[in-house]
Amino acid sequence: MPHTTRRTFLRATLAGAAVVAAPLPLRAQPKTFKIGVIHPVTGPLAEPGQACRLGAQMAADAVNAAGGIRSKGGLQLELVLGDTQTKPENGRVEAERVVNQGARMLMGSFDSGSTAAMVSVAQQKRVPFLVDIAAADPITANVAKSVKDGQQKVQYVYRNFPTGSSFGRKAVQYFTEMFKEAGVSPKRVVLMYCNDLFGQSQSRGFQAAHKAANPGWDIVEVIPWPEPPSDLSTEVSKAKAAKPDIIAPITRPASAQLLLPELRKQRLDIMGVVSPGSPGLYEAGQIAALKEDLEHVATCVPWANFKNPKTNAVAEDFRKRSGGKTFDTNSGYSYDGIFIIADALERAAKLDDPDAIVDAMRKTSYGGGLMQYGGPVVFNELGDNPNAITTMIQILGGKPVAVWPKAAAVQKFVFPRPKA
Amino acid sequence: MKWAGALAVLGLLALPLTLSSYALTIFIFIFFYAFLGQAWNIVGGYAGQLSAGHAAFVGIGGYTAAMLSIEHGVTPWIGMFAGAVLAGALGALIGYLGFRFGLRGFYFVLLTVAFAEVCRILVSNIDAVGGALGLYITFTGNPRHFQFQDQRAYYYIALALMLLATGIAALIERRRFGIYLRAIREDEMAAEAAGVDAFRYKMFAMIVSSSLTGLGGTFYAFYLFSLQPNTVFGIPLSVEIIIRPIIGGTGTLVGPILGSFILTPLGELSRHYLGQSGLHGAHLVAYGLLLIAVVLFLPNGAYPWLRARFRR
Amino acid sequence: MAVGLTLIFGVMRVVNFAHGDMMVWGMYLAYVLSTRAGLDPYLGFALCAAALFVFGAAVQRGLVDRIVDAPHEMQILLMLGVALVMENVALLVFGPEPIRVRSPLGAATWYLGPLYVDVARLVTFGVAIVLTAALWVFLYRTDLGRQIRAAADNPYGALVIGTDVRRVYAAAFGIGAACVGAAGALVSPILPFQPSTGLSLSVTSFNIVIIGGMGSLPGAFVGGVLVSVAESLGAVFLKPSLKELASFSLLILILIVRPAGLFGRRAS
Repeated sequence: MPHTTRRTFLRATLAGAAVVAAPLPLRAQPKTFKIGVIHPVTGPLAEPGQACRLGAQMAADAVNAAGGIRSKGGLQLELVLGDTQTKPENGRVEAERVVNQGARMLMGSFDSGSTAAMVSVAQQKRVPFLVDIAAADPITANVAKSVKDGQQKVQYVYRNFPTGSSFGRKAVQYFTEMFKEAGVSPKRVVLMYCNDLFGQSQSRGFQAAHKAANPGWDIVEVIPWPEPPSDLSTEVSKAKAAKPDIIAPITRPASAQLLLPELRKQRLDIMGVVSPGSPGLYEAGQIAALKEDLEHVATCVPWANFKNPKTNAVAEDFRKRSGGKTFDTNSGYSYDGIFIIADALERAAKLDDPDAIVDAMRKTSYGGGLMQYGGPVVFNELGDNPNAITTMIQILGGKPVAVWPKAAAVQKFVFPRPKA
Repeated sequence: MKWAGALAVLGLLALPLTLSSYALTIFIFIFFYAFLGQAWNIVGGYAGQLSAGHAAFVGIGGYTAAMLSIEHGVTPWIGMFAGAVLAGALGALIGYLGFRFGLRGFYFVLLTVAFAEVCRILVSNIDAVGGALGLYITFTGNPRHFQFQDQRAYYYIALALMLLATGIAALIERRRFGIYLRAIREDEMAAEAAGVDAFRYKMFAMIVSSSLTGLGGTFYAFYLFSLQPNTVFGIPLSVEIIIRPIIGGTGTLVGPILGSFILTPLGELSRHYLGQSGLHGAHLVAYGLLLIAVVLFLPNGAYPWLRARFRR
Repeated sequence: MAVGLTLIFGVMRVVNFAHGDMMVWGMYLAYVLSTRAGLDPYLGFALCAAALFVFGAAVQRGLVDRIVDAPHEMQILLMLGVALVMENVALLVFGPEPIRVRSPLGAATWYLGPLYVDVARLVTFGVAIVLTAALWVFLYRTDLGRQIRAAADNPYGALVIGTDVRRVYAAAFGIGAACVGAAGALVSPILPFQPSTGLSLSVTSFNIVIIGGMGSLPGAFVGGVLVSVAESLGAVFLKPSLKELASFSLLILILIVRPAGLFGRRAS
């Protein structure tokens, strides 16, 4: 019996070791520049994750088709794809894997937990990491603090996405401006949100910004619900009881499909539904499922600049390749992310030194983004892009259109909404 | 047996000399889940009390150490033991309720799940501990903060954790305590009739198991740098914890380790090969099918099957 | 849907972790029927039930049957494997977007002064009552139903008197799956769903079954009502995001005070 135990155990150990070590041959002399692109393509956030991946792939194709990184002899980009399944531990494992497969930069990863785990790999192994999407403020701020305190030498993590707090500031600003422009003065706003990572981050940012701006309208009630909800009738009754002028919901696609019909059923007498931030509300599938319940709903989201003809061309291509999806926050920021990386590689003194790439990243001033920005893409002392902003969009005639700020507006907003 | 164990440990100690950082990461998770599985095994395997809420202990342990470190600057080297104590206290509470009121089998499973869910919902709603947003830990790479620039340090800590839990389980197995636990698992009434204080021993197993698991929470927090209530208190993590010892063989020392050596690379490989295909979800279908196959063909777990085969 | 679970557990002591995923499959089936064949889910639910019956019986025959004698935890693991496969097959086929089935009934609302009645919910509630009653009649008034109950009480005894226990188990599992299939189709116009919805549905239904009582049909029904009342009260008096706390606390309380549930007999 002792004999067999030893053999079985050793066999298992060796088999395990072989399995782990085997599948990843390292290639000498790369002819391409590999970028690890990691998103949650399966699991609960599979939908936006897949959009991100496709956006990144399209951008890499576009860069390569246009001649690659010209200053480096037309070096081609190659994406090494990873999947987090929205589990932080997979963020770490996948980052290690793509680096082992030769990735010299990282991009990802949508959910803040996996992104935080990837940050540690980037800092540990000195791999520059562009966060394309993830809103939690501490992701970059923590690294900046660590560098400031002298715990880390170089910051390898940069983010081209509005942070949770900037989401809130923009939403409060747009709300106030739109009310003024429309010549109405709603007083009572009820904030409703999905109590998950995203919803809580948004609602905190919104409330903090509201407190700071003191804009002349009040948040009279705050109603969070557990996500995903199975029923929102009690929540809506509670909102109705607060006699709101405006319902400001922060929803996920699934909860929007419950909330908006419920608002109609309970006949809320309001000027409109204006959201501080609801991803996916504008998807063709959502519009088809919600139809009239979604009409005139406005939401504050990172949005592509459709006044740019190039955006329209890419969006059309994206629609074809994704089976009919809108070129949106997710696909758009991942698309721009690859171009920002390409821009940095173009300017970097050399590519075999990560610190040289970081130098180029810090000096970024990129104006070719397809998203709506408040200026060129730059990185501040925290590693965030202060010009990454949101846009107010509204569903008009069954289509999402940018309506505010004025510079970005494609159409005039309809607010207050017409009485039914 | 002793020789085999020593040899295996020696091999594992030497491995980092040859492996890439990615392979080390896989090993870290193999050890970490083997550790959690072994901790679970003490109450779930030896004592036969099926807890499906062990994620709660990971969460409590991780949150305690992280909060102490973020808010009060207490090093996680101390915080991890505070976390273990609190996790043990929660384990004692759940154990007390479950065992005192005689909840067995599926009822105990649900009690543990319910407690983990209550923890998850509470933590999601308490802003002071980060709410649903979770806690984010600053990466410093400073060993004082339980952080390391070098992947090998994490490797050795995870290995040490696994050996620690295995050592404790081995101690329990050898002593009279282990015999009592197994007697309780096989037939609690008969054990009580023979004079075994079932309540006391079950409580003890539960507290040891939950404290150890709480220790693991600190490792989780300071290896992945964030804690979200949905991940560390969630049902999926509890399932991850129990699945390995069950596949490997519950109530055996080798089971949780073997299970982890099988499942962790398997999950990794299936995600790697099928996940690239563009057929999103295919790798989880494959993982699920494998799980079904193992259950059908090795219903007692892999280790007892191997042992029986080699005996023949 | 809890009715289906209570049947499966009550009879076979199998903890069906794939329960929520079976329901999600019922929902997708209703979706396909409605978009491809124009069949309203309030009519199509019978077809969904039939399809899930076949699926459930097959799972029982092909998988669960083989390990009835294995340790309890292996059954849990088996159903977890089934759940994983079901969820991700749905992901492969339908993609990750949350969807909802559109039905004219789903949008209808009656107003009685300040009160309003959601017609879809009312209909769902009505059909659930009818189905539960039908199931009760089946279990207590037909031969197969009596055999199912006999097999639940004492499988060996049932075997001795010549019952084909395997057939009975397959029927019970199938009927249980059919119930969730029907339930899935019925709520598909109300509740948006996506492949990952299954887990939370499974947890909710375990909750309901325990509170109501294992193996008791009226218990499952009352449990369902109690859970929603507790959650609504929680939403009104606490923060709505804490409402699940109410149902889980109720669960813990019931487990401690009366583990067999409000209506159940103690299963040892």
